[in-house]
Amino acid sequence: MQAHVEGLVWRQPRWRLLVQFLGSMRLAVSLLVLLAIASVIGTILSQQQPYQNYAMQFGPFWFTVYRELGLYNVYRTLWYTAIVAFLVLSTATCVTRNSPRMLREMREFPIRQRDAVILGQDHWVRMSSALPMAQAQERILQVLRASGYKPRAEQKEGDIAIAARKGRYHRLGYFLTHIAIVVICAAALYNADVPVKWAEWQGTLRPEQNFNLPLSKIPKSAWMSPNNPAYRGIITLPEGQAANAVFELAGNGYLVQPLPFRIHLQSFHISYYSTGMPKDFTSRVILYSPQGKVLKTADVRVNHPMAYDGVYIYQSSFSDGGSLLHMKTYLLGASGAAPGMLSGRVGQTLQAGNSGYAVDLKNFNLYNIVPKAAVGEKATPDHPTLNLGPSFTYIIHNPDGQAAEFKTYMTPMRREGQGFFVQGYREALSDAYRYIYIPTGPNGSIGLFMDYLAALQAAARTGANASQAIFTKTFQGVVARHAPNMSAVEQSRFLQASMQTLMQLHDYPMPFILSLSSFDHRWAAGLQVTKWPGTIVIYWGCVALVLGIFILFYIPQKRIWLRLRPRGQGSEEFELLLGASADRNRLDFAKEFKRWTGTLEQALGVDHAEYKEHKDGQHTR
Amino acid sequence: MANTRVENWTHTSPEPSWWSQWKVRDWAWFAALTAAVGVILGLYGSHFGYWQFVVLGSWYGALLVAGLAWRPIQGATLAVVLPALFAVWLYSIGQTIANNLLLRDVLQGYAAVMWMSGLLIVATACYLLYLFTGSQRTGQWATALTWAGVIMGFIGLGVRWRETYLGHPDWGHIPVSNLWEVLVLFCASTPLFYLYYEKRNEARALGAFVMPLVAAGVGFLLWLTFAQHMDQIEPLIPALQSFWMKLHVPMMFVGYANFTIASLIGVGYLLTEHSRRRGSGVLLRVMPSAEVMDEVMYKAIALGFLFFTVATILGAVWAAKAWGGFWSWDPKETWALIVWLNYAGYLHARVVKGWRGQAMAWWSFMSLWVVSFCFLGVNMFLSGLHSYGKL
Repeated sequence: MQAHVEGLVWRQPRWRLLVQFLGSMRLAVSLLVLLAIASVIGTILSQQQPYQNYAMQFGPFWFTVYRELGLYNVYRTLWYTAIVAFLVLSTATCVTRNSPRMLREMREFPIRQRDAVILGQDHWVRMSSALPMAQAQERILQVLRASGYKPRAEQKEGDIAIAARKGRYHRLGYFLTHIAIVVICAAALYNADVPVKWAEWQGTLRPEQNFNLPLSKIPKSAWMSPNNPAYRGIITLPEGQAANAVFELAGNGYLVQPLPFRIHLQSFHISYYSTGMPKDFTSRVILYSPQGKVLKTADVRVNHPMAYDGVYIYQSSFSDGGSLLHMKTYLLGASGAAPGMLSGRVGQTLQAGNSGYAVDLKNFNLYNIVPKAAVGEKATPDHPTLNLGPSFTYIIHNPDGQAAEFKTYMTPMRREGQGFFVQGYREALSDAYRYIYIPTGPNGSIGLFMDYLAALQAAARTGANASQAIFTKTFQGVVARHAPNMSAVEQSRFLQASMQTLMQLHDYPMPFILSLSSFDHRWAAGLQVTKWPGTIVIYWGCVALVLGIFILFYIPQKRIWLRLRPRGQGSEEFELLLGASADRNRLDFAKEFKRWTGTLEQALGVDHAEYKEHKDGQHTR
Repeated sequence: MANTRVENWTHTSPEPSWWSQWKVRDWAWFAALTAAVGVILGLYGSHFGYWQFVVLGSWYGALLVAGLAWRPIQGATLAVVLPALFAVWLYSIGQTIANNLLLRDVLQGYAAVMWMSGLLIVATACYLLYLFTGSQRTGQWATALTWAGVIMGFIGLGVRWRETYLGHPDWGHIPVSNLWEVLVLFCASTPLFYLYYEKRNEARALGAFVMPLVAAGVGFLLWLTFAQHMDQIEPLIPALQSFWMKLHVPMMFVGYANFTIASLIGVGYLLTEHSRRRGSGVLLRVMPSAEVMDEVMYKAIALGFLFFTVATILGAVWAAKAWGGFWSWDPKETWALIVWLNYAGYLHARVVKGWRGQAMAWWSFMSLWVVSFCFLGVNMFLSGLHSYGKL
């Protein structure tokens, strides 16, 4: 790259000034630094969050300012794209401007060079010798050849010119790197769906902001063209279902991208390590043509996407796909002998009979792996964790509109011989769960405790006061009726545990407890569907970039020019002027230069040599 | 007179072609590497997928070139591979850390890393002592101890690789999967590259600047070990189960190591120049010349830049496989881009504009903060797809 013009030359046409500005080194370095700084923003502020989060974080004023600046999706804003585009333009100008000169330099290498040029090299030396010139020429060529050069000589008008160079293709490194940058950025812009951005900007495409609409209800203005050249969308598919469109987040809403096929998720599978950490997620996916023909069947795993006709499908996330849950409801204070039944799928809202209570089934987890220390058990190095089994999460709304969230484990947890039903609850989403532990009876259910609770309440209604004797007597009555086989040890353990549970129940916000009796688990897979035809171009750009950097750093261009002249008319002696430069690794080249000029001095029998270094009184750069 | 000199010049062949410079040991190196690859292919080749050939070929080529470019690599490779293989053999015949003292105290991955830590800290002290006393003997000890530390570090990584399979074959992975493991890689590879620059430029005093940062890295590693217990071997999350990890991460650390070295040489440069202006100080006695430091700084950045570029591209290719897009503007990716842009700016300023000296030393030094943030800061302060590098 040439240095920029320092003083403006008037008279020049405007476009030439513009070209000089665009191709200037100062602009290029400024843009590199500016781009680096602009990139920092998007790493400090987490990108593409729901707008409410930003509004809460910054308040209404700054929220609006930042939104207008596009800080919630920096790398897709017009101004960021403009900086990149400017860098591309600058690089392209630079390449175009320098190409002719560099190509010429690469193609031609003049043997004969003016003395001023030779003396302008990083290193030069002047020697004189009494050797016959023809013999001297032969020896010089030999020394240079021994150093790996391919020198050429030319004799004209009594003097001899010799020239040699290495790293002829050094300049190729410049082309490869800079063209690679242009190509990579251009392909990336293409991949960033410029047509969609354009349509959005023009207003023909409007992101839909209601995330709860079924596909068929989404207005046409949010649908992208099926011929969109590049897209990257997400679809969450429950097992057994199919879809022919994906969603792409855009600003505060989303766009819909129709696909040329239907994606059917046949099944989803997770395998686990012995620690309980997920080892692999696999979606069995079948692609159907719009006419219903099977196009392809494949297992999509993390790191192993499936490809069909330029479209790639990735395993990106997973969630519950609407598992069917069968629950028992225990009314606090009513006998547990006949608990109510409730069934529904995750994602549904159920009415608990005609009580006016609504149950919002939020989620189901097949496994709950926790560190043993967290539940008060001793961890061993080999088994540091514990699987608490399935759990489900739900929100109960009471008729007054108050709500609490619950997390209930299906399998009882055993502690010191006593089983406990474990349930967490919280009245605000920001709170941590508070846990209650209800002792389970011999049949593993909380029925016995519910009976005991009902009996206690009945006793309280008949005027019994809360004394230890009443608690014990009531309990013995309940045991005799419902669990006559309990041993004395079991009874005492159960009674002790019940006392604690009764205290915990004081703050319990709802009048009933749900327990999970069985489930039919169903996964949903989050699949990402991508079409990026520019990718292969980017890869080739990357290859060129790496190759170019390698050439630039490790194949330096070294050039040597020599001139042999007789010392005046009829003189036996001749004078030799030698100049040499390398455009990388100059310290190494200085050593190399010293080595073979030393050899040359010997070869030519030189008595006196004058080096640039001696003259300058300093080392070369 | 001059004729006698003219006659014998031909015997001093200045720069013969590259292969005739090979010594017997180079041929032996070539043969040994080739034989090792042959053995590996013979034993496991039938199970290889195309990518295992790629990984094996890359390691073969890299070691071959590195060993020829810098001969101490040859001996060091042997010093790493033989004990590591010995440890693997001990494990294979049923020895464990419970019944074998050598395994427990030296060769076990964890133990070897502790040895590395100790050796590198002592080496750092020796380099500092050398800087202040100028004692050649201390300097030689510093270099030797650094070598020993590097070798123990790589033995540790090698043996740990085997240990990831012990007891749970489906966990096995190259040990560059969490912060603890990559910090070991950083602490072992930075001194290794430093030793190269030290030898090439006869500039031992630079160690007094480079090694304290390595020692700080060791300190951080020990904190992670004893306070955070991050040295536990854990299985890989699905996203990391890819052969790209074997290429992407080690190459990244070639970049980090060289950038770090360049930054610290920048510090050395600035302090030496400060002493020079004052006209006194220990630095003037032992530090290499300003132009040597300038050149080493440039060379380290150039090598680092090449590898960083390749590693970032490989990361992008991997991301395209795992996350469905070669560039997701994940904080780690973005910071890698920032590091890249920063050094692209540096190289343009130096090579094209011909900047030298103080300004470039400052640039190189300040880049340390950018690089450190990319390596550690992103994982500590920002969240994103690279969260497995977390504290």
